[in-house]
Amino acid sequence: MGRYILKRVLVGFLALFVLVTASFFLTRIMPGSPFQSGTVSEQVLSALEEEYGLDRPPAGQYVVYLGNLLHGDFGMSYKKPGVSVAAVIGRAWPVTAALGFLAILLAAVFGTAAGIWQATTEKKAVKGGIFLGTMLGTGIPNFAIALLLALLFGVKLKLLPIAGLSGVANYVLPAVSLALYPASVITRMIHNTFRDEMGRDYVALARAKGLRWRRILLTHVLKNAWLPVLNYIGPAAAFLLTGSFVVESIFTIPGLGREFVTSIANRDYTLILGLTTFMGAVVIGINIITDVLGAWLDPRIRRTCS
Amino acid sequence: MSLLHIRDLNVQFHDKEKGQEAVRHLSFDAAPGEIVGIVGESGSGKSTAMQAVLGLLPDCAETVCGEILLGDADITPPLPGESRKEYERKMDCIRGNKIAMVFQNPQTSLNPTVKIGRQIVETIRAHSHCSRTAARRRAAELLDMAGIHDGESQMDKYPFELSGGMCQRVGIAIALSCGPELLIADEPTTALDATVEKQMLELFRRIVQETGTAVLFVSHNLGVIASLCDRVLVMHDGTLAEEGLVEDIFYNPQHAYTKTLLARAKELQKLSACRGDQKKLLEVSHVSRCFAGTGGPGRRDMTEAVRDVTFHIRRGETFGLVGESGCGKSTLARMVTGILAPTRGTVLYEGAAQPVRPGKQNRRVQMVFQNPYASLNPRMTVRDMLEEPLLLNTDMTEQERREKVDSMLTLVGLDPEEAQRYPRAFSGGERQRIGIARALMLEPGLLVCDEPVSALDMPIQEQILELLEELQDSRGITCLFISHDLNVVKRISSRIGVMYAGSIVETGHTKDVYNDPWHPYTKALLSSVLVPDPVKARRKKGMPHREEQKAEAFDAGGCPFAHRCGYALECCYTDRPKNCRFDGREVACFLYSEEYTGKRSRGYRMTSQI
Repeated sequence: MGRYILKRVLVGFLALFVLVTASFFLTRIMPGSPFQSGTVSEQVLSALEEEYGLDRPPAGQYVVYLGNLLHGDFGMSYKKPGVSVAAVIGRAWPVTAALGFLAILLAAVFGTAAGIWQATTEKKAVKGGIFLGTMLGTGIPNFAIALLLALLFGVKLKLLPIAGLSGVANYVLPAVSLALYPASVITRMIHNTFRDEMGRDYVALARAKGLRWRRILLTHVLKNAWLPVLNYIGPAAAFLLTGSFVVESIFTIPGLGREFVTSIANRDYTLILGLTTFMGAVVIGINIITDVLGAWLDPRIRRTCS
Repeated sequence: MSLLHIRDLNVQFHDKEKGQEAVRHLSFDAAPGEIVGIVGESGSGKSTAMQAVLGLLPDCAETVCGEILLGDADITPPLPGESRKEYERKMDCIRGNKIAMVFQNPQTSLNPTVKIGRQIVETIRAHSHCSRTAARRRAAELLDMAGIHDGESQMDKYPFELSGGMCQRVGIAIALSCGPELLIADEPTTALDATVEKQMLELFRRIVQETGTAVLFVSHNLGVIASLCDRVLVMHDGTLAEEGLVEDIFYNPQHAYTKTLLARAKELQKLSACRGDQKKLLEVSHVSRCFAGTGGPGRRDMTEAVRDVTFHIRRGETFGLVGESGCGKSTLARMVTGILAPTRGTVLYEGAAQPVRPGKQNRRVQMVFQNPYASLNPRMTVRDMLEEPLLLNTDMTEQERREKVDSMLTLVGLDPEEAQRYPRAFSGGERQRIGIARALMLEPGLLVCDEPVSALDMPIQEQILELLEELQDSRGITCLFISHDLNVVKRISSRIGVMYAGSIVETGHTKDVYNDPWHPYTKALLSSVLVPDPVKARRKKGMPHREEQKAEAFDAGGCPFAHRCGYALECCYTDRPKNCRFDGREVACFLYSEEYTGKRSRGYRMTSQI
């Protein structure tokens, strides 16, 4: 097991390195300079570029950046004088993390429940209803859902706040609009795996043993049906992070997503790079955790690894 | 006084695929302590009837039953349309408690992610209120009763860590956990090897003696039924064809269907005639094949699937290769066809080595696969499938190809008109005929048949074997026939090789090997053959066997069979026995070597040493 984890972590670092390299050079390929705007003269521009080291060849800049990164230094923002990238991340990540965690939790709980319900119910209307729901959930983009929810619950019904971050209630609408897509995917996966698992021999044996149907579903089937779903949590986390770009902007939540969008608009190279690296590390980390968890939960992998 | 009393059981499926697998007007009784065998082809409704008794059928099945009584309790399933709630509540106390069931496939009928101990304990605790520790103690007793002696330590294992036979013992322990009055066993030994099957039948007999439970034993194998059951029900097409004591059914069958069933089984008992000439077509010498073990590139523990195998096949003969699952038969077959390259040794076909690159296989060696349902592409018509080898390897015109396909289909006993159809339109036996036709398209010299009949019913098996024999007579094809089923191999092969744990331990003419086995493993294997004859089957004594062991579990030195062998000498554990040759017969055992048993005079005639 230890070997397995070590291997996953090493591969994770490699992936992170590739990510940093690719996004570093991509930002340098972008036309224009961060300090270019209508009112800045040529002299001031070149002076600024020299100060930030932007006049040197990209390869040199890359080595310096990588060296700083190894010391945990993400650099200073180009566009917000005196603000370090680390400070921006430090301020914004708890908001996004809370939002993302809430969304994943919602997706897992409701996705599992709906999937089990769809797989086990005999009512055609319920089956069809859930199927339609998952179709809509996967089909409608999350910004449209966010706007619809804001319109319905915020503007018309005035039940929930739609802007800012003054309390727990502010998290509800963004979390729901983020969770809808992964929840729909999880519903479908659970529905499929549940139906497969219910047809297996061990379920027939469990019934012949005289176990109650509900008990069979919850103790025997659920775990085996969840194992494949665990692999989806990693990609879902990545989806939530990108989804948060738009959703945080719509609900004006000061999280990583909104910082990201403004940093791209501003060509704030260091901030873009810092945020990309941080988010990449988070996604890779979540993937490693779910992989290890999946291996640990499945004795067929756990026992053969150790 | 009967224990189980069934009157007029009918099952109808509302599902197109299983439409015919229904039960009609089935009535029978079972007494306490009685072993009732239920025999029939697949699709005869025997499993469906058993599941209907327990109420385990899916919703698409409609059960209409006059009466099912278990002792005094009425467990008649509700008519379709009636509420099942009360019935289900009643059955929760019956299933696993009064009636228990053992399933066919032991490895899939246990939950792969739950420890076997827990799977037994939960059954006990579902029906009686006892503490977890008491239930665990009881589980260990049950495992001991089912033949797993270190139950305590085995309980923390997962099903995939146990062999098929061990898993089935766990399944039996689960079935026995609440002391059921009736045990329904649905083909419990079909998925197991012959030697393990034999042990399992002994176990069933012992359980009936010790606990007095009644057993309904479903099987398609007449040999199993003959050696175990007191009374037999013969099922055909969903109805009860005949019912009677085992001796009456086997020695004095009344119903026409029973007669054909028995005649087919007797056919399989025949010995094959000798064919073939003296010229060697295929020579396999000192072939080994290793596979990298699990654990990644860091840990290179190689598994030797085939080890130092030498044999030859003469032109026109059928060479049978027999051995238990995991002994390396299929790996050897794949090396003969050239799909796999041997790690060491050579495979010579007509004196030339097999080219081993993908796509460059020897066209003169073709293969027939085990599962006729999986080895045909469901999206290709039969004609497309049969034409494919011609398109790849020859430059025939369309007309020639068409004629060739038609003639080949006629040859294997199918109608050329049916060539436009897809595989799903054919039955298992017909599909295997298509598989054979496909292998014959390029006029091969050697046909490698890897378990070609083990997925088929017994009467169909006989038909396919007859087809292979006809082809051999008419086309002079040489055949390497691989099977775990001794009856089948005996039926078709003129010479056989017995494989154990990657090595061939004995080769010789089928008649000699069957009548007078020399190697201790061959003897053990033969003693586990079940004949469809109740008196003979019961008279047969098994070999003294030791604990069941995985076939691969052998270390580098010594005879692979030494750990299970009752005749093992000291040298068997340290040295590998050489092949000892006695005209036409080879045996790899120290009992036959001069070094260990002394010099023999020149005209010495070797006989069995065991």
